[in-house]
Amino acid sequence: MAAALLLVSGATAAFSAELARWTGEPKPPLHLESLYHGRVSLDDHKGRAVLVHFFATWCEPCVEEMASLERLAVRRQGDELSILAIDVGEVDARVRNFFKRNPASFPVLLDRDRAVIKAWQVKALPSSFILDSNLVPVLFVERDVDWDDPSVNSALDELIKTLPRDDRRDVDKREADENDKPT
Amino acid sequence: MINRRDFLAGATACSTAALILPGIAGATARFDPQPGEWRSFRITTRLEIPKADGAVQAWVPLPALEDGGWILPVGDKWTGNEAAAEIVTDPKYGAKLLHARFAGDQPSTIEVESRFKTRDRAATLNASGKAAPLSDAERQIYLEATELMPTDGLVKQTADEITASLSGDADKARAIYEWVVENTYRKAETLGCGTGDVASLLLSGNLGGKCADLNALYVALARAAGLPARDVYGIRVAPSKFGYKSLGAGSETITKSQHCRAEVYLSDHGWVAADPADVRKVMLEEPPRDNAIDSPLVTAVREKLFGSWEGNWLAYNTAHDLVLPGSDHKVAFLMYPQAEIAGALLDCLDADGFKYTITSAEITA
Repeated sequence: MAAALLLVSGATAAFSAELARWTGEPKPPLHLESLYHGRVSLDDHKGRAVLVHFFATWCEPCVEEMASLERLAVRRQGDELSILAIDVGEVDARVRNFFKRNPASFPVLLDRDRAVIKAWQVKALPSSFILDSNLVPVLFVERDVDWDDPSVNSALDELIKTLPRDDRRDVDKREADENDKPT
Repeated sequence: MINRRDFLAGATACSTAALILPGIAGATARFDPQPGEWRSFRITTRLEIPKADGAVQAWVPLPALEDGGWILPVGDKWTGNEAAAEIVTDPKYGAKLLHARFAGDQPSTIEVESRFKTRDRAATLNASGKAAPLSDAERQIYLEATELMPTDGLVKQTADEITASLSGDADKARAIYEWVVENTYRKAETLGCGTGDVASLLLSGNLGGKCADLNALYVALARAAGLPARDVYGIRVAPSKFGYKSLGAGSETITKSQHCRAEVYLSDHGWVAADPADVRKVMLEEPPRDNAIDSPLVTAVREKLFGSWEGNWLAYNTAHDLVLPGSDHKVAFLMYPQAEIAGALLDCLDADGFKYTITSAEITA
């Protein structure tokens, strides 16, 4: 059963029983090799809402959740939401084979030696963090989530609305600069 | 799937039973391993890694666990086109492996032959005794958390609930065994022997997996209850003489016959066998398959797989979180051959792509 995720902006935010408002420390920087996107840095996504999702291909709930995460990514193309999926502790070949069968449009990062999951103090798979535009965790889910759930999408909409306009322009400019690079 | 709040289930009493195995027409069989004659085996691990763009390294687990009661490594030798090879012993757990390096400009091949002796083991748990004590260092190693086996949080909470009404170590160890048998299941789809990610297993509330998951859960719960415990990683080398198809190697090719078991240390008895995962394997796989937990076929092994196991299995080592020598890669456990090409680890569960084969032969002098 997937967890429903509810985000209500403001001080009176209320969440489903499965979802915890993140009250811990900010998370450390994150730099990892990825399957098809080279080396990925979390800092590159500053100014956007970021969904950081820890998973493994052997984890049955993770496999089911990955399909809904991809549907979310497709629905949210053009939104200011980045999705970073982090495979934990598996050999590249196994992850690559999985995504050949289950293509994903978002970067799939490789935490080969489990260094990031340890630094982020993630205890179980799947787990997801939703970060604000300053890359500070806002919400945390330590189980699978139905990313098709309307309440989840409302929550993401609310978060995206709060993104600072200046940061959004910075991101737009970075992306434009990136697109101008010779290929 | 069970709810994590409903973990505790009453352990049912079970009794030894003679039974008729469906696969053996008319034959009466028991499951009752007892120390007897030693058996000698030779296993051969052959690696054939295709010509690669870069240097190749390989690591092959070697028999390292030695216990005068049931297993004795005899020796290892190898031949191949390696540029260099050496036996390396892990300083923490004593795990042994052959580390080989190849140029990679031609197919990398090596054949490793290991000999060992083993026999059935059984503890007399209803009698008191005095085993050699664990050193402080060993006790610490076998009580501590590993990367995938936490001993705090939900693991500790679950262990406390299982053992709440018990005071003796043997009773606690048995209660955890019965709890794992009652509350987990063998999941056929799990790759290899599973990963042993105990925290994810418990937090998901879905306690399905294979031996590396279910027996790791036993070990983590035992450690959390204050009982030294360890996973023992190995491979099945021969059929079960008790007729259980699911508890033995099906042929001399044992490439995919890896199996890990567990041991718990009891001061009266020393290291005691525990293999709840194999009880669940009999439930799922033993013909006619999908056997009820209270069927004679299952209760016979359930009664015995705490305290004993059959000597048709090789124990490699008890290591966790092992950094492969000469590499940055770390493995949660060493039960499969490992190799990397130009720094990229190959998939050890893909024996055909890797590629490797393992065969076993009993030596009868």
